[in-house]
Amino acid sequence: MFTLVVGGAASGKSEYAESLVLQDLPRYYIATMQPFDGECRARIAKHRRMRAEKQFVTIERYTGLSGLVLPERGDVLLECLGNLAANELYGPGGDQAYGAIVQGVEALLSQCRDLVAVSNEVCASGGGYGEETEAYRRLLAGVNRALADRADRVYEVVCGLPCCYKDRRRAV
Amino acid sequence: MIFITGPLYSGKRAYACQVLGCSMDALADRAVWDVQELARGCGDLEALADRLAEQDAVIATDIGGGVVPIDAGEREAREAAGRLSCLLARRADRVVRVFCGLPLALKGETP
Repeated sequence: MFTLVVGGAASGKSEYAESLVLQDLPRYYIATMQPFDGECRARIAKHRRMRAEKQFVTIERYTGLSGLVLPERGDVLLECLGNLAANELYGPGGDQAYGAIVQGVEALLSQCRDLVAVSNEVCASGGGYGEETEAYRRLLAGVNRALADRADRVYEVVCGLPCCYKDRRRAV
Repeated sequence: MIFITGPLYSGKRAYACQVLGCSMDALADRAVWDVQELARGCGDLEALADRLAEQDAVIATDIGGGVVPIDAGEREAREAAGRLSCLLARRADRVVRVFCGLPLALKGETP
């Protein structure tokens, strides 16, 4: 089953997404955040420890999801598409970012039992960010739409509460 | 009239086409979009909402999130856009929020 969890900053999306991946083993956590500075590194170290207690195996992958081979078939928490989109867009071959992400998720789906992907909502405010940032918002919104279409379940998390937009197991 | 709102790039016009059963090219005959821009500097939002409500579908991009703009004109435009959306929702038979391409009914049933 493929679940997409979307939310704003500090909306509780990560915690909710994690709660969907605590049934079976092995479970993998694919981390897309690059350790650019000390703040990032401290955040990553803290999250790694927390997840190790919950029996997640952390795999760091910043770009090129299509090339990732999981050690075993298991459940996967992919966090997050906002970082992945930035890494793909601003890295080499940025014009191929959309395909790299959407096909990468498809490749992941073929290797795992359940996939829970976390994404950010960055389009709920007005513009005025400049063209470079606008390209990022367009990319991430496009990725979110494509994955929402593909997903079995789609949730927006608001104040830690999941709002269901789609659930193939039942009518919403 | 169906009022469709949601974040930028969330698939609102594609959803309108689906509801109205028309192509993107034909949408302009049945619907009006980016109405948040019409609110900017509009002296009579009630009259604007009345006029827009004659369309089959009215689409507004929600721009109310994020930080309050520093520029006074932008603040005013954002306020007007939010108020216009409320006036349109009141006139609409159905209100749908489109999020990541998926509709959520806020008023009435999703078609």
